[in-house]
Amino acid sequence: MKNGTATKKVVGGKLLRVKTQFEVYPDIQSSRMVESVQLTGDFFLHPEDAVSALEKSLVGLPVDADRGVFLERLNAAIQESGAQLVGFSADDIVDTLLESLQNK
Amino acid sequence: MNMALDEACSEAIASGAASATIRFYQWQPSAVSIGYFQSLEDEIAVSRCVDAHVDIIRRCTGGGAVYHDFDGEITYSVIAPESLLPRGITESYHVICGWIVDGLREIGIESEFKPINDIIAMRGADGLDFGGRKISGNAQTRRGGVILQHGTILYDVDVKKMFSLLKVGQEKIADKLIAAVEDRVTCVRKLCGATKQETYDGLLKGFTKGKEFEFGKWTPGEFSCAKRLADERYRTDGWNRMR
Repeated sequence: MKNGTATKKVVGGKLLRVKTQFEVYPDIQSSRMVESVQLTGDFFLHPEDAVSALEKSLVGLPVDADRGVFLERLNAAIQESGAQLVGFSADDIVDTLLESLQNK
Repeated sequence: MNMALDEACSEAIASGAASATIRFYQWQPSAVSIGYFQSLEDEIAVSRCVDAHVDIIRRCTGGGAVYHDFDGEITYSVIAPESLLPRGITESYHVICGWIVDGLREIGIESEFKPINDIIAMRGADGLDFGGRKISGNAQTRRGGVILQHGTILYDVDVKKMFSLLKVGQEKIADKLIAAVEDRVTCVRKLCGATKQETYDGLLKGFTKGKEFEFGKWTPGEFSCAKRLADERYRTDGWNRMR
């Protein structure tokens, strides 16, 4: 299991840190998968417990998936949970997530 | 108990058992609170807090870590049905933070709301320009049709102690053009000669201006609910260390 962390201070917004774990599955062609995602920081997200739905939406994707794939999954989770992000955006989450996966 | 009391009051208002409430309070012992989404280990120098007998608690609201010094700050909570405040998050911050701005003006401090959730002091009682240092931080959540906004007004903060207990990363201040963390904040004592009681009196005026209100106490139901929330959530490692 590998760990990645990346931090972004959103200009005019809040601090977002993304912590990821990713695993190697030798029997799968696309062999590295995002195993867990944790979003931390001084941002606001209403309702607060929707954060776990956003985190889960990014799990299970290949670490080298296109940015658009991560963003699509995340936006779907935001819409489904009714989450309102204050001080950061879905793009900020994906940018920071991809940076955390650079350790791949 | 402070966070548990806020939540118990919020539940009472949601069920119709209580009306809109404004609280002013202090923390004894002094405490560090972290935002709902923050990592305790990333934000707080835990061993230093333990050595200094400073409590650590995770809030039910987002936002950043705050050092609540018993002597150095006044904390408030506004807990009200959503119907009494603007629907938009920024707009509702603006309204409640406006009461703080009004309260600080009562003691001679000119300040302004700075979105997302800060109040910055512009001029002290002697008219000197303070260039916009943070004097108040605020955080809001909405549950069950109730807005809970709490925040802190810095009175006489020991900045060195504050930053010895908090881990403030360079990323956070990068876009504020200020290198030293101590230059980011100010407090009432640096801006005017008001005592803490006078500061509270000023804030009380600012918060209650134009409103009908009465002073009240917690009901036995609110207090027992708060005690349960404190025991089951706010005092547990499962809550405080969940991130």
